[in-house]
Amino acid sequence: MIDSPVQKRQDKQPSKRVAIQIEGLNKWFDQFHVLKDVSMDVMENEIIVVCGPSGSGKSTFIRCINRLETYQEGEISIFDHRLGNDKNSAVLIRENIGMLFQSFNLFPHLTVLKNCTLGPIWLRKIPEKQAIEKSMALLERVGVADLASKYPGQISGGQQQRVAIARSLAMAPRIMLFDEPTSALDPEMIKEVLDVMIDLAESGMTMMCVTHEMQFAHQVADRVVFMSDGEIVEIGPPEQVLKNPEWDRTSQFLKHILSHA
Amino acid sequence: MTETQRPATELKKFVPRPSRPPVVVTYGVTGWLRKHLFGGFWDTMLTVAVFSLLYVLLKPFLDWALFKAVWEASTRRECLDLSPDGACWAGVIRWFNNLIYGRYPNALQWRVNLGFAFGLLWLVPLALKPVKHKIIIGIMAVVLYPFLADYIFLGGDRSTLHGMFACLALGYLALTYINIALVYAGKRQLSLYLEPLLERVSMKYADLLSQLLCLMALSVLIGMALHDVQLTHVPIDRWGGLFLTIIISGFAIVMALPIGILLALGRRSEMPVIRWFSIATIELVRSVPMITVLFMSVTMMPLFFPNTIDLNKLAQVILAVCIFAGAYMAETVRGGLQSIPIGQFDAAKSVGLGYWHTMFLIILPQALKAMIPNIVTSFISMFKDTTLVSIIGLFDIMLMARNISIDKNWYGLHSEPLVAISVLFFFICYGMSQYSQYLEKKLKTDR
Ligand SMILES: Nc1ncnc2c1ncn2[C@@H]1O[C@H](COP(=O)(O)OP(=O)(O)OP(=O)(O)O)[C@@H](O)[C@H]1O
Ligand SMILES: [Mg+2]
Repeated sequence: MIDSPVQKRQDKQPSKRVAIQIEGLNKWFDQFHVLKDVSMDVMENEIIVVCGPSGSGKSTFIRCINRLETYQEGEISIFDHRLGNDKNSAVLIRENIGMLFQSFNLFPHLTVLKNCTLGPIWLRKIPEKQAIEKSMALLERVGVADLASKYPGQISGGQQQRVAIARSLAMAPRIMLFDEPTSALDPEMIKEVLDVMIDLAESGMTMMCVTHEMQFAHQVADRVVFMSDGEIVEIGPPEQVLKNPEWDRTSQFLKHILSHA
Repeated sequence: MTETQRPATELKKFVPRPSRPPVVVTYGVTGWLRKHLFGGFWDTMLTVAVFSLLYVLLKPFLDWALFKAVWEASTRRECLDLSPDGACWAGVIRWFNNLIYGRYPNALQWRVNLGFAFGLLWLVPLALKPVKHKIIIGIMAVVLYPFLADYIFLGGDRSTLHGMFACLALGYLALTYINIALVYAGKRQLSLYLEPLLERVSMKYADLLSQLLCLMALSVLIGMALHDVQLTHVPIDRWGGLFLTIIISGFAIVMALPIGILLALGRRSEMPVIRWFSIATIELVRSVPMITVLFMSVTMMPLFFPNTIDLNKLAQVILAVCIFAGAYMAETVRGGLQSIPIGQFDAAKSVGLGYWHTMFLIILPQALKAMIPNIVTSFISMFKDTTLVSIIGLFDIMLMARNISIDKNWYGLHSEPLVAISVLFFFICYGMSQYSQYLEKKLKTDR
């Protein structure tokens, strides 16, 4: 573990507006209680890092936020709008939330560029030419503009994940969810993806990020959430949760990943 | 950090060396033969054995089919006199026209050719690169072309509505070709010239309106030009031969995918009624032999329709074959859908795509691509299965072949027509299979 000095943005103004409000979330897979009374608020522009042991329900948790998973109890609100099974919620989620996956999940039958323009053209009804221009700009921003005409199967994992970021950004979301975006990548590629994520964080995006990249957590996270067995065990600024945890479970977990990093 | 770090200047600079072109191994024909057929003692023995076996098996057939065959004669007797143990292709050649067109009047057979020529013309734009919106051209072909073909094949006094649709089909075809010509000439689509005018009426629908106007104008022009053309009526029971086989299997092949896709999606639907209906249709149709379905379509279908609707045997058979083909295709498509990783659904949903967008933009294109070999296999078997319709008395190519053997001049000529049909079918089906392999290669995007 390299204990390099972490430069943290000091200029950031904490926002007063709640972006995501989660209250009393409970979820079961059949008999198995995956999420137990999970509650938290995420402010606008806040960067949240979620960590915890495998199987603790991190993925399930953030997948509930954009309704990739249904839940049996509790409420989630996005910008003060309570999400339900209705059309409004679907539109609200689509307009506001983007998501990244561990396995990239690019559409393999479409070129990199078409992956990005698909949403804007079909959902936002933006004219094709404009959509292409905007997507090219985004691909430029994540540093893969030269791959625009390639298919996902022809580019590396790091490049795929950056395309996935561009694809999400093309829908101009205000909130981005990340589910272990770098854990399928080699060290060199991890860096190229993290750089883009740091850039995003600095641009004022509200981010919720499941990751075990502690360096990233120290550098950009406003708060770190530690989950275990479907519960939020600890939540607080990275210096507190990652350096002076209150609970034994947290410190045990941190020791474990630090010895492997 | 425990290891001692050297200053950067001391590090050797790594520069990847330039790539070499790949090694190509070549050897001439004799080299190839020596390597692949006569590589060693046992290789040589095997090769010799296989070729001797082939010779023993093929020699009598080739003798019969080629070396001792009779190509010109006017009766089977004459054939037998000329060469008692050779094939009598003369009979097949005499009847060839009937094998292809059934009992369609000779003087009017150009209409069959014309009808199919229009069909081919409609397919050409689908293969051209610069053509846009191929899917619309394809859908229009499915919707409009049957009216046109029906009008040309059947002739006679058709209703005005039918005539209008035929003109619409011609109009659309003309519009497509005009647009292609304009695009190749570096100009813009025809409808775009009209758009500025229409934008005053409605900004939003100007594009659609101008396209429709162009289509209407062309159709009316064509309608007026063809006003005096009268086609003699050729009743459906005179249609036959390969012509009829292609009509029936054409419908089956074209309709199988849409029906199959809907049934497959229905089977995965979360709405119970739709799911049960799809499962019932698929399982019922799949567990009944095709012949039964054909018989039922002819004897039972009239019971389901009001008396006022005038059904003909061909329409009934086509309907039955389409449902049959669709039910089989549904299972093929379902297999394709299951092969799509769940992450694709997640990704589509996280981009914001709804059910239909997800299915038609993301899932089905991948599923169908993965299933091309299976889909084409079922196309081929549908094409071959349609020869069963001869059983319910449609004069398709098989029944025409059997008719040769009861013609008084060619009485007893059984094998030759069947061999000829086999060769014909082989070429058509082999063509389809080759096309599917080409398509697979073309659509491959993962490497
Ligand atoms: N579709 C499902 N059906 C049943 N159980 C599931 C399902 N998905 C997840 N689980 C279970 O729920 C628990 C939480 O899973 P989840 O994927 O949220 O964990 P995680 O914290 O993301 O773990 P990891 O770090 O391995 O990704 C696990 O025990 C898992 O076995
Ligand atoms: Mg997970």
